[in-house]
Amino acid sequence: MSTLRHQLISPLQLVAMATAGIILLPLGYVTTQALSADPAVWSRLWATRIPELLFNTVSLAASVAVITLVLGVSTAWLVTRVEFPGRRLWEGALVLPLAMPTYVLAYVYSYLLGFGGPVEHVWQLVAGPEARIFSPHSYWGATLVMALDTFPFVYLLSRSALLSMNVSFEEVARASGASRSSTLWRVTLPLMRPSIAAGVALVILYVVSDFGAVSLLRYQTLTYAVFQQMTGRSDNTAASILSLLLVGLALIFLITERWFRQRSRFYQTTGRYRAPQRHQYGWLGTVVVTGYLGLIVGAAFALPTSLLIQWSLSPEAQATLDSRFFGFVWNSGILAACAATGGVVIGLPLAYLASRRPTLLNLGCLQAAYAGYVLPGPVAALAVLVLFAKLAPVFYGSVLILIVAYVIHFLPAGLQSLEPALQHMSPNLEEVAHTLGLGIRDTWWRVTLPLVRNGFVVAWVLIFLQTMKELPATLLLRPVGFDTLAIRVWMEASEEYYQLAAPSALLIVLLSLPALALLVSKDWRAA
Amino acid sequence: MSCIHSLSVSRKTVFAGLLLLFATGFVPGVFVSSAPAADPLTIYSGRSERLIKPVLDAFTVNTGIHIELLSSGTTELVNRLKAEGDRTPADLLITNDAGSLELARAAGLLHPLNMREVERAIPAQFRARDNAWVGLSGRFWIVVYNTTMVKPDQVKSLLDLADPQWKDKIAIPNSGSEYLQAGVSVIRATHGDEKTRHFLQGLKTNAGSQVYQKSSQIVDAVAKGQVALGIVNHYYVYRHLAAQPTAPIAVLIPDQHEGGMGAIMNVAGVGVIKGTKHLESAKLLVEFLVAQAGQKLFADLDKEYPLHQDVKTDPALVERKSFRAALVPLSKLAELREPTLALIEQVGLR
Repeated sequence: MSTLRHQLISPLQLVAMATAGIILLPLGYVTTQALSADPAVWSRLWATRIPELLFNTVSLAASVAVITLVLGVSTAWLVTRVEFPGRRLWEGALVLPLAMPTYVLAYVYSYLLGFGGPVEHVWQLVAGPEARIFSPHSYWGATLVMALDTFPFVYLLSRSALLSMNVSFEEVARASGASRSSTLWRVTLPLMRPSIAAGVALVILYVVSDFGAVSLLRYQTLTYAVFQQMTGRSDNTAASILSLLLVGLALIFLITERWFRQRSRFYQTTGRYRAPQRHQYGWLGTVVVTGYLGLIVGAAFALPTSLLIQWSLSPEAQATLDSRFFGFVWNSGILAACAATGGVVIGLPLAYLASRRPTLLNLGCLQAAYAGYVLPGPVAALAVLVLFAKLAPVFYGSVLILIVAYVIHFLPAGLQSLEPALQHMSPNLEEVAHTLGLGIRDTWWRVTLPLVRNGFVVAWVLIFLQTMKELPATLLLRPVGFDTLAIRVWMEASEEYYQLAAPSALLIVLLSLPALALLVSKDWRAA
Repeated sequence: MSCIHSLSVSRKTVFAGLLLLFATGFVPGVFVSSAPAADPLTIYSGRSERLIKPVLDAFTVNTGIHIELLSSGTTELVNRLKAEGDRTPADLLITNDAGSLELARAAGLLHPLNMREVERAIPAQFRARDNAWVGLSGRFWIVVYNTTMVKPDQVKSLLDLADPQWKDKIAIPNSGSEYLQAGVSVIRATHGDEKTRHFLQGLKTNAGSQVYQKSSQIVDAVAKGQVALGIVNHYYVYRHLAAQPTAPIAVLIPDQHEGGMGAIMNVAGVGVIKGTKHLESAKLLVEFLVAQAGQKLFADLDKEYPLHQDVKTDPALVERKSFRAALVPLSKLAELREPTLALIEQVGLR
C-alpha cells in the first residue's frame, strides 16, 4: 500500500503525467474543434478542397516512396556489396542530403528548373528554342525535391540491413544454383523487406508533414493547406478539420513504420555470422557506379551547395551580412538551445519512468510524447495556439508558446536517443549505489546522469538541429524580433530573391553537417 | 573524493545553467539583443518587409525612435491581435488592405485618432470615420501583360480573364491574398454573386497551377513569358520595371469602358492599437507617414499612388486622373469579406 502511495505521489511521476497532458491537450483541442465544427463547413470542404488535397498528398507520398525505394536500396547495395575505388567516400556522401532542409533544395531547384532557368537553356540548345522542360512547381517538381532529400532514410536502413545480414543465406542460394540476380530478388531483398518498409514509411511520414518544399513549389498538400487556412482566414475551423485529416494520415504511416521496425529486429542471424564478400568491379563497372552515385549526390547535395556558395559570394548577398543578419543567427541559436534544453529536461522523466517502472501509466505517458510525430509544423502551431488562447492567454505571442510548440514537435527526436540510453544502463548500478548508502538524489547526480550523458548530448543536438531548420511553426508563432535563419530563407526565396536567401541557407546546411555525423553514428531516424 | 564531489557540483551548475537558460525562454523580450534608449515602437505589418522597412527606417533616422517590426500576413496578424487582446506588444498595425483594417476596427482593436495632420493630408474616403485607421497609399488591382504575347485591346475588363482563350495563360494570387479577397468583394458588389462565381470559375480553370503566393512572382512569370497575363497590384509591375527597364511587361487598367465598373482600388494603411503604451510615439509615426515626406517615400520607393494631394505620383505610373476607380467604398470591404470568402471557397480557389 505504501509503495503504491509512493508511486502515485512521486514528483517525477507527476512531472511525467503533466508533460504527457501538455503534449496531448493541444491535439485534443484540435480534434474537438474539428469534430464540433459546423457540419456545413465539413461538407463544404469535402465538396471543394479535401478530395484534391488528399489526392495530392497521397500521390506525392507514393511517387516519392517509389523513387526513394529505388535510390535507397540500389545505393545501399552498391556500397555494401561491391568494391570499387572511393567506396568508403560514397558511403558517407550518400547521407549528406539530410543536411539540406527541404525548402533549401526546393528553392535551388525552382531556380535550376524554373522557366527560363539554366537547365531549360541547356535543353533548348539540344531540342530547339521552343522546347520546355517540366515545371518544378508541379507534382513532378515536388516529387524530385522530396525524393532527393529523403532517400538517405531508405539508404541508411537498407545499408544496415545489408551489413547485419548473415551472408550464409545468400551463399546457400548460390550453391544451390541460383544466379546472382535471382539470389538478389529471391533471398537478399526479401530479407531486407522490413528495413526497407520502415525506411519508406519514414519517408512518407516526412513527405506528408513537409511544409517548406511544397510551399515554395506551390504544390497543394494538406500540410500546406492548413498553413494557408491559418494565415488567410479569420477562424481556424477549416484549419482544424484539415489538421485532423492530416494527423490521421500521419498516424497510419507512423504505425506502419513502428510495426516494420519491430519486425526488422526479428531476423537476427543465428549461428555463425560472416560479413558479405564484396564483389570486385572492373574499370567499366567502376565508371558506371561512380557516375550513378555522383549523379545522385551531385543532384541532392553538391550542386545545390555550390550554387548556395556562389550566391552567397555575390555582392547582393554580401550586403545583407550586417548586424541584422547576426541577430537572425543569434535568434536561431537561442531558440534552438531553449527548445533542445526543454526537450531533454521534459523527455528525461518520461524516458526514465518508462524504463525503470514500466507501468501502464508510465508507458502511456511515454507514448503520448511521441504524438509530435503526427503533428506537422503548422498543426503543432495551430494546436499550441488554440491551447494557449483558451488556457493561458497571458503567454500568447510570447517566446514560450513557440518553444512549447518546438518541444512538442521534436520531443520524439530526443526520446529516440534518450530511451535507449536509459535502457542500456542496468538498474543494478543504481541499486548498488543505494546499497552503498547514496540517497536518491545523489544516485541521480553521480550515477544515473553521468551514465546517460551521451544519450543526452545526442538528444540535445538532434532537437537543436531540428529546431534550427523548423519553418512553419516559427512563421506562425514567432514573437516580434524573432526572425530566424529559416524564416529569412523562406521570405527571400518565396519572392525568388535567390541570392539574398543564400547566406542563411548555406549557414543552416553547414551547421547541420557536424550534427549529421553524430546522427549517423547514433540515431539518424529522428532526422 | 573531494575531486568527485567538486565534479558533481560543477555538473549541477551546468545543469542548473541549462535550466536557467530554458527558464529565461519564458520571459518574452529577454533576448532582444540591442535595446535602444528610447522606448521602441512595435509594429505588426502585413506589408512585405521590403516595401515598408525603408519608410520606417527613415522615421527612425528622423526621430530616433526605433522600431521592432513583425512582418507577416495581414489576416494572420489581425487574428493574432484578437487573441493577444490587451496583452499585445504591438503599438501599430500596418496592412496591405483597407478591409482588414476595418475588420480590426470593428473588433475594437484600434484606437480612434483625433489628429488634424491626418485630416488635412488624407481625403476622408481613405480613412475610417473615427480615424481608427488611416490609408497611407493607394494601389490598383490591375492586369499585367506580356507585351510580346498580348495586345492591350484584347482585354477590357478583369472579367475577360475568365474567357477560355486565356486557358493556361494567366497567373493569379492565391485565395489567402487580401488583394484578391478585396477585389472579389468589389466585383460582387458591382456585378452580383452569380456573375462573380462564373468569373472565379473561369479564372480557376484558366490559371490552373499558376497560383502564386507573392505578387512579385506573378510579375516575374509574365515578364519571362511563362504566362501572358496576371492580376496584381500595380506597383509590383513598376518596381519590376524600375529594376529591369527592358522587361516586356506593361500595365493595363481594366474596366474603363463605357459602363464598366472602374479599376479596383485599395489602400495600405495604418491603425494605432487600442491600449498602446506609446501613444505619443505612435501618433508621431502616423504623422510622419501622412506628411509629405512620408508620402513621397511611398510614391518613390514603392511606386504607389500617394493619398496626400500635394505629393506627386512617380511619373512612370499611369496618371491617376486618367482613369476611373470602382465606386465601392473602402469601408464596405469589411462587411463584404465573409460572403466573399464563402464564395471563394465554394468555387474552390486555391
